[in-house]
Amino acid sequence: MNLKKLTGLILILVMVLSLSACSSADKGGTKKKFIMGIDPEYPPFSYMDDQGAYTGFDVEVCKAVCDELGWELEVFGVNWDQKLVQLDANECDCVWSGMTILDSMKEAGYVISKPYFYNSQVLLVKEDSGIASSSDLAGKDVAVQLGTSGEALLNEDLADLAATFGNVVTCDSFLKCFTELAGNAVDAVFVDLPVALSYTKENAGYTIIDEELGAEEYGIAFRSGDKELCSQVDDAIQKLVKNGTYKKIADKYPDIVDNLIFLNQ
Amino acid sequence: MSFFSMMLKMSEGLSKTCAIFFLTLLFSLPLGMLVALMRMSRNRFISTVTRGIISVLRGTPLMLQLLAVTYGPYYLFGFSVSRNKLIPVVIAFAINYAAYFAEIYRGGIESIPKGQYEAAQVLGYSRLRTFLRIILPQVVKRIMPSITNEVVTLVKDTSIAFTVSYQEMFTIGKQIANSQTSFLPFVVAGIFYFAFNAIVDFGMGRVEKRLNYYR
Repeated sequence: MNLKKLTGLILILVMVLSLSACSSADKGGTKKKFIMGIDPEYPPFSYMDDQGAYTGFDVEVCKAVCDELGWELEVFGVNWDQKLVQLDANECDCVWSGMTILDSMKEAGYVISKPYFYNSQVLLVKEDSGIASSSDLAGKDVAVQLGTSGEALLNEDLADLAATFGNVVTCDSFLKCFTELAGNAVDAVFVDLPVALSYTKENAGYTIIDEELGAEEYGIAFRSGDKELCSQVDDAIQKLVKNGTYKKIADKYPDIVDNLIFLNQ
Repeated sequence: MSFFSMMLKMSEGLSKTCAIFFLTLLFSLPLGMLVALMRMSRNRFISTVTRGIISVLRGTPLMLQLLAVTYGPYYLFGFSVSRNKLIPVVIAFAINYAAYFAEIYRGGIESIPKGQYEAAQVLGYSRLRTFLRIILPQVVKRIMPSITNEVVTLVKDTSIAFTVSYQEMFTIGKQIANSQTSFLPFVVAGIFYFAFNAIVDFGMGRVEKRLNYYR
């Protein structure tokens, strides 16, 4: 009986020791991995370049932050309308992809970084449509991407405006919103200013209605327990701003430079 | 938003889900029979082409076919994208399901022994009459379980219509999930789909029982 107990105890000890040996080996060998959650279809902040690698302003800044902190960066394309669920599920360590800071995120307990970008929502229309202001869109159809702040605005703050539209069509990507507009299935796309700017630059025949409908800021979202991680990233970004790396990255994306908070203080 | 008001909001989209479901069945069940007959045609050309089409329709995701039907005409020929998304959705679903139904019909028809055709011929039945009065009634009985399978799958597949921004029940659920940062709408969606399929199951079970007249 005693012998049995003793054997059992030894076995348990062996198991526990081997387990702890495993985990310490893991920590010692490799660098800390930082998984960045992005919307891979959100130029110029995060998108796939011609070689098929993820790039964009946010991705480059995150790369610089990881270099600064000695982390290994892994970029993970999230399903944008599920981004916070995927964050909670540990599929990524942050959502950093031109993400609008919403009050509901803070209420839900997510840790949000310092805002880094001023944004506004605009309406993109075809040049020859004769639409010059949001009031011209009465009875017309407007597309918006599901899970974006534009969609939230149309449901809440701009619900009165949205009620004058014929239909609000929610697409699951901006590409589809723009295809709907190009194919005349909708009359306007309600979209973040930088996305609209980069689209009008690359595609002729579109124009942005000069009317800012919702002012907001971009930030990075972390899980509720990750306050320390958030301040590490915030501090690293400030270092990059001071040593000029941030400016160097920003200069590659002239469309958005004017709205970057850290460069325009 | 309370659980109840969530269900209320999502049930608005349920009518659109039902529209996809019933219209798809309405078009794909007869279309499938046509395709099955073409597939079994003695003309080698027709049967080979039909076989190729079925293989493409079954070998590619419904989601891609949906995108192709909705946006393909615009990208290829510059046609306008349809404002009423129900049209491309039902076209894509009906074609896709017709391919599956066709193979089920074919399996049923080919399972009938050759002797029955010969017996009918001896009795002076024409080929059309043989098919309609003798073969088809037996085929329908035999394929009912497989058809039920497809119909149940169709209920769940309606959620794919989301990909071309058709505002059916699941799309609305996703929108609520987003704005409320809540998982509850997916629970509601699960309940809706299950209830829908429970009704389908019951209905198809009744039909099967009615057809069971030889036992």
